[in-house]
Amino acid sequence: MSFREKSAWISFFCILAVFGSYFAAVGGAKAGRIDATHLFPMFIAAVVILVVLEIVLHAAVAIRSPREATARRDERERLIVLKATRIAFYVLAVGAFLAIFTMHHGAGPRDMAHGVLLAFVLAELAKFGAEIVYFRRGT
Amino acid sequence: MGDCEIDNNIRRLRFEHGEMTQQELAGRIGVTRQTVNAIELGKYSPSLEVAFRIAAVFELPVEQVFSYRGKRRS
Repeated sequence: MSFREKSAWISFFCILAVFGSYFAAVGGAKAGRIDATHLFPMFIAAVVILVVLEIVLHAAVAIRSPREATARRDERERLIVLKATRIAFYVLAVGAFLAIFTMHHGAGPRDMAHGVLLAFVLAELAKFGAEIVYFRRGT
Repeated sequence: MGDCEIDNNIRRLRFEHGEMTQQELAGRIGVTRQTVNAIELGKYSPSLEVAFRIAAVFELPVEQVFSYRGKRRS
């Protein structure tokens, strides 16, 4: 498995774990199990944890193959990223539209913000998921 | 072979050139080993530049390394 593919797997599972936990907390706040005022500090913590996790895990993989980690992407890897980014754009566009749509159905600013954030997270998951599929398939 | 319309003899040529590994070829043409593997399996069509680099490694014209098969009927 190439370094770029390992990187995609790391990012996919880190985002899924960290923001899956965060949105579970958002759901808990909507259900009244968690104080909603705690959500902003939780969001900041999620971002910090995600950054630290990504750095640590990428560094661990890079130490094992430093030449590959520092090499520029080759043409196939650049193509894979471009194709995956296109998929992520469509996911983000649909998600953002749906988040805005909730405004017309009584959603407050916090719900809309979470909707847009969810769209970003799903787009990132779609991007890294697509990269993984393309790496597995060849392109 | 894979989904591409282009066939290649890279695996055979590597063997004929001192049993060159995919990693060695990848290093000489500036791509990853996984890309060389994808090209050999027909899962990825390289750019003209990479195709010419591959041909230059084996000191052959491009058309003796790659051949155009045309679209497969499904």
